[in-house]
Amino acid sequence: MKIRVKAFARFREILGSDLALDLSDGATMAAVLTTLRDRAGDEGDAIFDETGTLRTHVILMRNGRRVNRKELDTLVLADGDEVALFPPVAGG
Amino acid sequence: MIGITRDVIDAGSMIEAAKKPGMGALVTFCGVVRDDGGVERMELEVYEEVAIRELEAIRDEAMQKYAIESVDIVHRVGSLSVGETILLIIVGAGHRKEAFAACEHIIDRLKQTVPIWKKEFYRDGERWVPGEAGGQE
Repeated sequence: MKIRVKAFARFREILGSDLALDLSDGATMAAVLTTLRDRAGDEGDAIFDETGTLRTHVILMRNGRRVNRKELDTLVLADGDEVALFPPVAGG
Repeated sequence: MIGITRDVIDAGSMIEAAKKPGMGALVTFCGVVRDDGGVERMELEVYEEVAIRELEAIRDEAMQKYAIESVDIVHRVGSLSVGETILLIIVGAGHRKEAFAACEHIIDRLKQTVPIWKKEFYRDGERWVPGEAGGQE
């Protein structure tokens, strides 16, 4: 299935603005994050800590809605879902 | 009006357009690119679909919470120079006190929840402006 990933600000510079990931059916949000961590390589330190866990300040969304950290392993994605990740906002 | 724009924000015409007969006060907040230790320009980016939805939610919340008649919010993105308007909020109300309170509430909420980011460019470098607390539950 295809998952679209949007990254913004510093994370866009690391991951690219708009990625299309091809994942096996039933993939969870945690699987998406593993794929992104591999893609980011050393620069991923801004997004993931040394254990590979998403840093606490990172905001994660699925289809425009925030995802709770407790759901990462159980949240199964669907074909066409949009995942977004970004640092704390700084508008105004 | 709620909007994200890449064009220059014309505050005067927006204020005129916001006026209605029952309003005795229009309070505006105008955010501007500041020369902060040598900033020459700024680039702003947005997660547009979510930003529009958040701005609409902030407007709706303010309309419920305060005795006001209208809320307009336009936020600019793209490349901006020092002195250019980043953001214009206009709150129209019968009386000034509620309009001032609502306007301050709106800008505070906007800075917490609307997915927009700023990168400052100096003559010899650049940096992302750190956001306010934004971690998640």
